[in-house]
Amino acid sequence: MWIDFKLFFKTIVLVIAMLSSVAFADEANLTWAQLTDTQRQVLNPLAAEWDTLRPWQREKMLDIARDYPKMDADKQALVKKRLSNWSRMTPYERENARKKHQQFQALPAEKKSELRQKWQEYQKLPESERARLRAESPDTYTDADLN
Amino acid sequence: MLNNQNNHTQNNLVDSVQLAETQLAQNMIALLEERAQHLTLSEVQRLSTARNLAINKMTATQTATIGIHRNGNALQWFGHHRLASATLVIGLVVISLFSVQQLSMTANLEASDAFLLASDLPPEAYADKGFDTWLDSK
Repeated sequence: MWIDFKLFFKTIVLVIAMLSSVAFADEANLTWAQLTDTQRQVLNPLAAEWDTLRPWQREKMLDIARDYPKMDADKQALVKKRLSNWSRMTPYERENARKKHQQFQALPAEKKSELRQKWQEYQKLPESERARLRAESPDTYTDADLN
Repeated sequence: MLNNQNNHTQNNLVDSVQLAETQLAQNMIALLEERAQHLTLSEVQRLSTARNLAINKMTATQTATIGIHRNGNALQWFGHHRLASATLVIGLVVISLFSVQQLSMTANLEASDAFLLASDLPPEAYADKGFDTWLDSK
């Protein structure tokens, strides 16, 4: 009787693992035409380049489409507005942005407000000045460093 | 009257038999004790070996019995309470699956880029290394 339970439990775990891996593989390989209407609507800025994205990139974008309905209208508008630029960033830039976003989230409210203000100031600098500051940055990577 | 005589005779007979048995036992004890005083060395050794063998055998049997009983208790419980044990196992499986799902959902929620895109700052602010350099210089 006890051995049967162990076998039963192992079978359940195995089935779940198999289903999860199948679901992951299928989702990451979906073409633009295979996406649902809702997914296409959210990821519309990426329509032209979707089929050229790598499986793990598609998975990240599908995560965005999954969480999109959970947001209010203002945040949804921000996601749609920024999605196109986001998809054009290099993998390094995206990974760097994720880390910085996590650090930003952990900051107290007044520090967040201060950084928002600083970003506005930075945006007012001439593009040549911003390019010089970017060039001063010690580590600049390309896609090739990550692929 | 006749019955009383028969009973009396039967009682006398029982007493006589018991007396004879007692006498026989006493004779046997006397003989054994007398003989025990004159045992040879090999007889003493054989008796000692036989005694040790008997004790070892008895000890081993008792230990094995206790072991089975102790180990058997936990398994016997599951055997006797099949419905309860089935419920317990299924409950553990359901709780495990629920916990894994919740953890997975939480991890996805935190890791999703959607929240970064909807953040107070645009993604460019997080990715722009020039902004970092400019902040450091201030």
